[in-house]
Amino acid sequence: MTGFIDLYTEAGTFLHRTDPRVKIVAVATLSLLALIMSNLVNLLVLAAVMVVLILFGRASFKKTMLAFSYVFRVMALIVVLWPLFNPGGTPVLFDLWPIKITEPGILAGIATAVRIFCLAAAWYLLMFTTSQRDLVRGLVKMGLRFDFGLSLAMSLRFLPTFSAIVESIKEAQRARGLELDKGNFRKRAKDYVAVLVPTVITALKMADTLSLALQSRAYGARADRTYVRELKMRAGDYVALFIAVAVFAIPATVKYIFSVPL
Amino acid sequence: MIPRVPMSADQDKIISVHELKFVYDGSVRALAGINLDVRRGDYLAIVGGNGSGKTTLAKNMNGLLRPTSGSVAVNGVSTSEQTVAELAKVIGYAFQNPDHQLFCSSVAEEVRFGPLNLGYPEAEVAKKTELSIEAMGLSSVKDLPPFSLTLGERRRVSIASVMAMDPQVFILDEPTTGLDARETDDLMDSIDRLNIDGHTVVLITHDMKLVAKHAKRVVVMSEGRIVLDSDPGGVFADLELLLRSKLVPPPVAQLAHRLSSLGVPREVLSPEELVFHLMSGRGARK
Amino acid sequence: MASVSMESQTPQNPMGATPAKFVSPRTVALYAVLTALTTAVTMTLAIPLPTRGYFNIGDAMVFFSAFTFGWRAGMICGGIGSAAADLLLGFGFFAPITLVAKGSEGLVAGLLGPAYRGTTRMKILGIWAGGSCMVTTYFVGEWILFGFGNAALELPLNVGQVLFGGLIGLALSQAISRYRNQRPKTT
Repeated sequence: MTGFIDLYTEAGTFLHRTDPRVKIVAVATLSLLALIMSNLVNLLVLAAVMVVLILFGRASFKKTMLAFSYVFRVMALIVVLWPLFNPGGTPVLFDLWPIKITEPGILAGIATAVRIFCLAAAWYLLMFTTSQRDLVRGLVKMGLRFDFGLSLAMSLRFLPTFSAIVESIKEAQRARGLELDKGNFRKRAKDYVAVLVPTVITALKMADTLSLALQSRAYGARADRTYVRELKMRAGDYVALFIAVAVFAIPATVKYIFSVPL
Repeated sequence: MIPRVPMSADQDKIISVHELKFVYDGSVRALAGINLDVRRGDYLAIVGGNGSGKTTLAKNMNGLLRPTSGSVAVNGVSTSEQTVAELAKVIGYAFQNPDHQLFCSSVAEEVRFGPLNLGYPEAEVAKKTELSIEAMGLSSVKDLPPFSLTLGERRRVSIASVMAMDPQVFILDEPTTGLDARETDDLMDSIDRLNIDGHTVVLITHDMKLVAKHAKRVVVMSEGRIVLDSDPGGVFADLELLLRSKLVPPPVAQLAHRLSSLGVPREVLSPEELVFHLMSGRGARK
Repeated sequence: MASVSMESQTPQNPMGATPAKFVSPRTVALYAVLTALTTAVTMTLAIPLPTRGYFNIGDAMVFFSAFTFGWRAGMICGGIGSAAADLLLGFGFFAPITLVAKGSEGLVAGLLGPAYRGTTRMKILGIWAGGSCMVTTYFVGEWILFGFGNAALELPLNVGQVLFGGLIGLALSQAISRYRNQRPKTT
């Protein structure tokens, strides 16, 4: 199974230009919004807004399909399973022990599926329109320690390398007659060890080299280090931040203070 | 030096590649129509610059990659009808980086891994293991963990572990990268011996000195095509082609070219040959 | 090296500036590599499944990191590495749950596994306890998100995945500790 090493697609849309911190906040508020809503119509409206935003973000079609292929499968499964496990309410549409299906059960299943879509879309909105570099920058600005941020950035940088190494080692062992995913539990586990031991040893050697490279470039020499590119919130970013917070805060107030079901 | 044997068409083909095209991930074209017959007993060098398709071709030979179009047959059977493990019985492939294959806690255990995978009976595995360790000169280190050995020794372990599967063909991907001159000579001697014992050797490299000294047949690759298939002398006669294929001919071949106005033939492979031609008076014309 | 020093070993700066209170460059490099490795292994050695999406051996890397480099490495690299794999494979909304599930798995396994000189018995205990954290977190998370039905379907798969990953992680940590005691002469 292969995914994408990087979901980001380069483009100059307003979503790309928005400060990564604002987008991270938006993921949180949009997810929370999806979680507090249970009315199918409200959720569908939110989902529609998400779709529009994703289209605005101009992600590549292939990446979008990959990102949502599993989401759609889970949605289908929920729509089928939810009514079976939650046969509450009336009217009852089907009742033949042990299976009982009710209309509220079906509606709640669909609502849950749409909620999953919204949760996934919020994440992909961020991933499609934010480069890994900006993402780490944003996290560091939001309080992630610089050294951990550096470590995270480096691990993202090394991901393609390691994926290639794992593939290459898999091939190397297959050339020695190894057949992964064949045989019983024990044999399979042993076969994976034959792939993982060379992988880990290669990686640990790389960590040694990397640590020397960091030292030779004066990592940690001064606490008051400077940055080449500073993130700066512009007026548009503040507007976006305000919208992102309001989008959750207003419905939350309506629901929890004025007790209006959403 | 190994005597050069003239190629004859009636030697039976062990690998035959026909109109092979290969495309990675539906977009990156790596092989653009390869036709090649590897004959039993060949000592074949596949040379070419980085990205010329050497390794892709080799991986198509042992089934790690399957042709996008065209065909590869091993002993007359198409690779698409055999699993990689089945092909491993015929074609041994030592990867460029030995550390990608080594994982056991002793050399002997490492060498045993292949034949055990292929399901040979225990007594036979023990015999094959013993023989391969000896042939690769690893008897003194056979109980040590592979990762405690030098790079040259680790290469030998990886070749021994291929040898233990008793293949007819050895594909060796850049076996001398990172070795010093002495280690290279020792390793190449062992590889020459494999060929003398009747094994077919396919050497993937861009080190033209190795080719001049050891190979009996050379295939030059460039941009996914075979641009030349001849004996080593024929390859060095065409300096232009080598340079276009991002290869540097060995100094002795370059020197022979410079001296060609003196009557030295262009396909000189060794300093001894050059001296011979200069001394024999053919090059004595003033 | 059973535990990684968390303090910087940078010498006093001759310019008079205060050296940053960062973790050592070894730690930064090691954590970067372990995180990337966890993501890569989760992504490339994954078996697609009809219901859940994918059965992976990422747990092996979480247990390995925890047993070999301690609970911090297990928690940070296991949690972040696995969550990143979710995002990149198309399981984005799972990432926060995975972060907690795998992070706690690495944390608990890393606290128990290396204790009492890291005997096999302790490591098995670590796999059991850490694995329980992972399975429970996923079960609760999926129950909230997908409802009881899906969560119940997933439960046995997650248990199987932890057992399989734990077995591999255990063997891996033992193989690598042999390697680390026997450093190579050349690189």
